[in-house]
Amino acid sequence: MVKRGPSGWLAWIVQRASALYMLAFLVAGLLWFLVDPPGSHPAWRARMAGAGTGIATAAFFAALLAHAWVGLRDVVLDYVRPRSLCGPVLAGLGLGLVAVAAWVLRILVMVRA
Amino acid sequence: MRLSIFRFDPDRDERPYMQDFEIALAPTDRMLLDAILRIRTLDDSLAVRKSCREGVCGSDAMNINGRNGLACVTPVAGLAEPVVLRPLPGFPVIRDLVVDMTRFFAQYDSIKPYLQNDEPPTGKERLQSPRDRARLDGLYECILCACCTSQCPSYWWNPEKFVGPAGLLQACRFIVDSRDRATAQRLDDLDDAYRLFRCRTIMNCTEVCPKGLAPSRAIEAIRSAMTRRPR
Amino acid sequence: MPGNTVSSSRDRRPVFLNLAQIALPVGALASIAHRVAGVLLAIGIPLGVYALDLSLQGPQGFARMAAALEGLPSRAAVVVMAWALAHHLLAGVRHLLMDIDVGSRLPEARRSAWMVNAAGLAVALLAAVTTW
Repeated sequence: MVKRGPSGWLAWIVQRASALYMLAFLVAGLLWFLVDPPGSHPAWRARMAGAGTGIATAAFFAALLAHAWVGLRDVVLDYVRPRSLCGPVLAGLGLGLVAVAAWVLRILVMVRA
Repeated sequence: MRLSIFRFDPDRDERPYMQDFEIALAPTDRMLLDAILRIRTLDDSLAVRKSCREGVCGSDAMNINGRNGLACVTPVAGLAEPVVLRPLPGFPVIRDLVVDMTRFFAQYDSIKPYLQNDEPPTGKERLQSPRDRARLDGLYECILCACCTSQCPSYWWNPEKFVGPAGLLQACRFIVDSRDRATAQRLDDLDDAYRLFRCRTIMNCTEVCPKGLAPSRAIEAIRSAMTRRPR
Repeated sequence: MPGNTVSSSRDRRPVFLNLAQIALPVGALASIAHRVAGVLLAIGIPLGVYALDLSLQGPQGFARMAAALEGLPSRAAVVVMAWALAHHLLAGVRHLLMDIDVGSRLPEARRSAWMVNAAGLAVALLAAVTTW
């Protein structure tokens, strides 16, 4: 019963900080859509192609994937048995999240093309 | 009064079973422990820990109608019948309502539940202001009954790695004690993925503490202390 | 037992952990729902990114996305995801407040858990009604 492994506090802070950013983004995004809805498809594309929107959205997905990682890791550490499976399962989840990150990056870059 | 009690005798039984009892209570039988002791006058094979009968030793912690509590301070009136008594969840059962507390106490030991201060005391005692002493209120009163820890789902899933609410409440008791000098080491010792951070603030612990303590708040206080400490 | 030098009773220590027979206080319900909602949302991430991708590809992509959301199974999924997002977000806010010691005492925590549980279901109901 000794401490082992990486900091739990860091993961907890990442989970809380990412949650706060996502909350702010969703509230701001919802307000923006309600107050000034994009009327047409080109308008929607143009909105997403803006530099500010692009960066904020990229940050949102970075926060989302980090938040999902911490949460899913907690689920795995709590329930997955035998423990030797934890490593492979976490590796698989990590890979999946990185793949989604790459996909989002591609979408945000292509929309400006 | 009707009760349904968890029975298991390792020398006789293959597996546990529930035994029903129907007893007449005397007017002086006010607490659940009184009812259990009355049952023992009819069937003294029922094994149960009890001692102080006033809620300070923590011996008679058990699961009462699904919720952990101390039998000696649980009033008989207001209990839904049949009263279902089971041992503390997740703890190995030695016999009937008596559980193995070894791992629970090992987790408590692992947080070093003693003052660490190598400075020579100035005078006869290490002085502590009333204000600093007040910071121990809500923490020192723990009787280590294990009601909280055995009601905690995070502890059920990782009892050998997660310290549990009782151990963490005691860790907090020493972290906030002005006479202790090992705060940095104490915080560091709890900072991995399991020892403290399995806690999801489910708050079952605070729900069932028979002394009215709040381990969930103590754990929050430790997280705050970790956040505020200089790096 | 005669002739038996090793105590075997230690190996036969059963454990009581029947969740159906253990109390589930309102905070515990909020907590497990928070976790279930989180896992559902995590599963929804690739679907959401796909929807974003389609919506930005051109009017046909946008139309395909809208059409896919027409069927009953899709609408049911939208209702479930609406519940998941609402509950996870509100339960998360409850946790963030408790982190700064707001509402972390038992009576307040019970009240906020009850409100979060109810609000999540209310949002799901609203989603069901508006997508009907």
